[in-house]
Amino acid sequence: MAPAPPEGHLLTMSGITKLFPGVRALDGVDLEVQAGEVHCLLGQNGAGKSTLIKVLAGAHQPDDGVITWRGEEVQLKSPIAAMKLGIATIYQELDLVEGLSVAENIFLGHEPTSAGFIVKGGEARAAATALLARLGHPEIPASRQVGELSAAHQQIVSMARALSHDVRLIVMDEPSAALDPDEVDNLFRIVETLTADGVAVIYISHRLEEIRRIGDRVTVIKDGRTVAVGLPAKETPTSEVVSLMTGRKVAYVFPDRPSVADAPRGEPVLRTEGLTREGEFEPVDLELRPGEIVGLAGLVGSGRSEILETIFGARKPTAGRVLVDGQELKPGSVRAAVRAGLGLAPEERKAQALLLIESVTRNVSVSSLSRFSRGGWLDSSAERKAARGATQELSLRPDNPDAVIRTLSGGNQQKAVLARWLLRGCRVLLLDEPTRGVDVGARAELYAVIRRLADEGLAVLLVSSEVPEVLGLADRVLVLREGRVVHTSPAQELDEHRVLDLVMEGSPTP
Amino acid sequence: MPETSRRGLLFGTAAISAGAFLTACTSNEKKDEPAANDEPAADDKPGKPVTIGFAGPQADHGWLNAINDNARNQAKKYSDVTLDITEGSNDTAAQIGQIDALINKKVDVLVILPADGKALTQAGLKAMRAGIPVINLDRIFADPQAFRCYVGGDNYGMGVNAGNYIGEKLKDKAGATVIELSGPDSLELTKQRTQGFDDALANYPNIKKVARQAADFTVESGQAKMAQLLQAQSKFDALWNHDDDQGVGALRAIDQAGRDGFLMVGGAGAKSAMDAIKADNSVLKATVLYPPIMASSAIDLARALGQGKGVSGMAGLEIPAQVTLFSAVVDKTNIDEYLPQGFS
Amino acid sequence: MKQPASEAQQGGPDAAPAADAAPVPLTKPAGKTPGGSGSRPPLGLRLDFRTLSLLGVLAVLIIVGGATKPDAFLATSNLQLVLTQASIIGVVTVGMTFVITSGGIDLSVGAIVALASVWATTLATQEYGFAGILFTAIIVGLACGLVNGVLIAYGGMAPFIATLAIMASARGLALLITEGNTQIVTLKSVLDLAARDSYILGIPPLVIIFAVVTVVGWLLLNRTTFGRRTIAVGGNAEATRLAGIDVRRQRLYLYLFSGLCCGIAAFMLIVLSGSGQNTNGNLYELDAIAAAIIGGTLLSGGRGTIVGSVLGVLIFTTITNIFALNNLQSDVQQIAKGAIIVAAVLVQSRTARHGEA
Repeated sequence: MAPAPPEGHLLTMSGITKLFPGVRALDGVDLEVQAGEVHCLLGQNGAGKSTLIKVLAGAHQPDDGVITWRGEEVQLKSPIAAMKLGIATIYQELDLVEGLSVAENIFLGHEPTSAGFIVKGGEARAAATALLARLGHPEIPASRQVGELSAAHQQIVSMARALSHDVRLIVMDEPSAALDPDEVDNLFRIVETLTADGVAVIYISHRLEEIRRIGDRVTVIKDGRTVAVGLPAKETPTSEVVSLMTGRKVAYVFPDRPSVADAPRGEPVLRTEGLTREGEFEPVDLELRPGEIVGLAGLVGSGRSEILETIFGARKPTAGRVLVDGQELKPGSVRAAVRAGLGLAPEERKAQALLLIESVTRNVSVSSLSRFSRGGWLDSSAERKAARGATQELSLRPDNPDAVIRTLSGGNQQKAVLARWLLRGCRVLLLDEPTRGVDVGARAELYAVIRRLADEGLAVLLVSSEVPEVLGLADRVLVLREGRVVHTSPAQELDEHRVLDLVMEGSPTP
Repeated sequence: MPETSRRGLLFGTAAISAGAFLTACTSNEKKDEPAANDEPAADDKPGKPVTIGFAGPQADHGWLNAINDNARNQAKKYSDVTLDITEGSNDTAAQIGQIDALINKKVDVLVILPADGKALTQAGLKAMRAGIPVINLDRIFADPQAFRCYVGGDNYGMGVNAGNYIGEKLKDKAGATVIELSGPDSLELTKQRTQGFDDALANYPNIKKVARQAADFTVESGQAKMAQLLQAQSKFDALWNHDDDQGVGALRAIDQAGRDGFLMVGGAGAKSAMDAIKADNSVLKATVLYPPIMASSAIDLARALGQGKGVSGMAGLEIPAQVTLFSAVVDKTNIDEYLPQGFS
Repeated sequence: MKQPASEAQQGGPDAAPAADAAPVPLTKPAGKTPGGSGSRPPLGLRLDFRTLSLLGVLAVLIIVGGATKPDAFLATSNLQLVLTQASIIGVVTVGMTFVITSGGIDLSVGAIVALASVWATTLATQEYGFAGILFTAIIVGLACGLVNGVLIAYGGMAPFIATLAIMASARGLALLITEGNTQIVTLKSVLDLAARDSYILGIPPLVIIFAVVTVVGWLLLNRTTFGRRTIAVGGNAEATRLAGIDVRRQRLYLYLFSGLCCGIAAFMLIVLSGSGQNTNGNLYELDAIAAAIIGGTLLSGGRGTIVGSVLGVLIFTTITNIFALNNLQSDVQQIAKGAIIVAAVLVQSRTARHGEA
């Protein structure tokens, strides 16, 4: 490993901007990495971490910004260009070819050859074995098929592949996610060996305790912007890091909550009884009344989205039941849920909710087609009119029913999804990360819309990893940790730190 | 429903072709049977038992179907012959596998109608090296060492005979025009047929071939291509169609366009074509044979090879290395003689 | 606190993607936005770039045909011929367009046509007359479509694999029924349908069937919930499911519909060729897919156009016609067909980019 230049940073990224249709994924991110350090990159889901590392890996081209590598401005036009500079990326979803051997994977694309095309298998295997030994895993057989290895060993192979190049910077995207504690220890040993050799590591993880253990410095990004650069990893208090991740730079105006006197007291419209999905969440009992917003707070992987999708019938519960107006819903049937008046605005809006190349009208009317048809025959003008009514109700812009939904901003796309359920006449809205991918400025408007819908009698179940969002919007809050409801109380009785404590540490309910 | 009585139909067709075949195979001595132009090659007396392996392509076409039927029925005639017939395949690799299996079974003689003659040369060589004589049927191997005997039709001759027949009919007509509906251009036999046709027509300076389109031996393509030819040529004097199966479609197109006033000659010798010639109520006046009874001959020769006998009517004890069947032209004058050979 | 309707009605030519506006106090009406409400032309017959480019290609072909063979090409009989030859593959393509629009593929169409055509032409079926043949062809088509649909929608098989398997089985079954023989139809009532005498106002009955299927297909795709669900499934099956639509049932119906089209096409083929043969419908799957794709239907699903598909079929048929009239041979025809596919798709993806960007 060549030593880094004595002066200056190994890598500097400044003002990196990346636009996708309808959303500003990166909005001026800054990052500085020094040789031999473990630099932690922190941020919520959707903050822009993965976009940023794809820019660094040459997989995305930034729309703006400057990347400096060892003192020289560079353009990472392709993954190969990044690789040639010595930047290797180990993605969360390992990009190994399962049908090839360990050695073949490690040297894929740069196999040692004679005459330019005959692969020297023996040489490759020897080199692979040496690399694996350096990573502390000489026991992984270089000729074994990768598909037969454990997740941890596959990760080691991925790392060996990175090291097979003359690498100066390794980006690790949530490397510990699939690992046991023992394996995590080994991973950290490897990271230390690498940094001792002068290799820099960008380490991405949700687990703050890991960052404390091996991180040198921390950069926090949020909503596509850098909110903190190069904080000392060991000294910065957890609460500060967490509030940097989740907190607001812009002060949000949350709509007024109805006073306690006006709190909804009707019969619950939605109830779950012991709703369970083994391995995802433990029995959940919750009640939702018309006009009420209930928030589910928790980290990624705490089971919040899974609970929502199970209530909606998109996943089949292993135990328990969902009742709407006291009537049990057919488990695992989205159609039954929709017919009973449930509507879901899913987390992955593009993948799970939108017909991207279709018009706003068609996206809104898709759940209510039978309303505009007689004998299967669509009355397009009635459809258009009704869809437009619903979108105008939510001030969706542009006010053009024929606009292709892909060209809309995240906030307006979300409004189209909400309009879909309003048009359907739904009574329970399940919102999964409703402001994900929505520009900061547009969020307040979306909050107001959600509150107004509740005021008009809808029951809303809200999932968000943004604690202030849950606290500001919900009437009652359920805090989830690792698939378990650890706390339930009115939102007013909680503050951000308390929720974070519950979410992070899982301290018992008082 | 169709299911049940379909069997009746299928049995019926099989019976007809079997009947046609049996008649065709009887010798000239037999009374009240129409004369046929082939006779069992070796004598009929039972001899040493012979197992004949037969590998052919998928019988997805009337002619190939008739080949299989003829082979089966001819083998049935001999009490000393066991026919081991493979499931037909149009896939070269699959057919090689089937031939290998027959070699491993140690059959006495192999009759191979390759899906592709050139591509299966190695399979033929392998059998010959294993000491199994190979009779190569219809589509010839690239290497003469790959067969002991080749039995086939004469595609070039077929074209020549069609050309000469048309030529003779039109020789007195000044400025006569002819069109050709060929088989698929991807087959070598199509090129040979067309070449023969062109060469024969060259003898008649008053006749000009004005158009040619290739169909692909199916009724559907015959109809489609013929319709185009008719649209392109508002008037012509004769048509040669390479294949009677596609000719069904061609006749359909002619009928639909309401055209007549020309002479149509078919190819191969399907029953439907022969019936039409006999009935003499359409433009189809003749067909040039490409007789599937060559399969019967191949079985006879295989039996003779297996028993180490010669062929009656041939001087010398040895079986010939090549047997090429003559492509006779069947028209109204000799239709009764050939009608039994027509395949459906 | 209802939002007053926005008064932004001034139709712009193309709605610019609007970024999220700054937070608007809810008490104020939503501000004017640049979005237009570009109204759709009547009938939704948008003469977009795709359709125009296809019409352009067709126009060029007609000019070429008229220039090279004015007498034969421009005759009424040739128009009848081209339309007749387009009609069978055209009906199959209408069904295929639905399947592709839903993000699927049906490789079995040619084999289904073959199976339906031979089943409907056995001597036994012919005994039942005209109705027997028509009924059998359609039932066999529907039955094959049902098998496809069940395997794909409820068996979770990839459409490519399931229809490939049905393609092989249906061809095999067709061969089993015919034993390689050509089954000739002797029923005059069936055969007469292709005769010149039964043309209605100069239009061959087969072309009328094609026209009816096209119109029904167009209405189905553009004017019914069935069509809308088809597009939705193709655009985003998961989102459609989460919108409360029974995606599996929709898929089943789609392959049934394709099977129905194949059954109708098989009947038309029986009428035209006067026979049933196991080789019928050879490579229809590729012709239908090619026509649908150059017509502008997205192979990945989510967008389909019946008008485009029909134009695609007409383009291919016209090319074949021009080549045959000029006595060009099949090698040249095939090369030209390939070139046309490449050219049409390239032109379209370019125009699409310009038209939508």
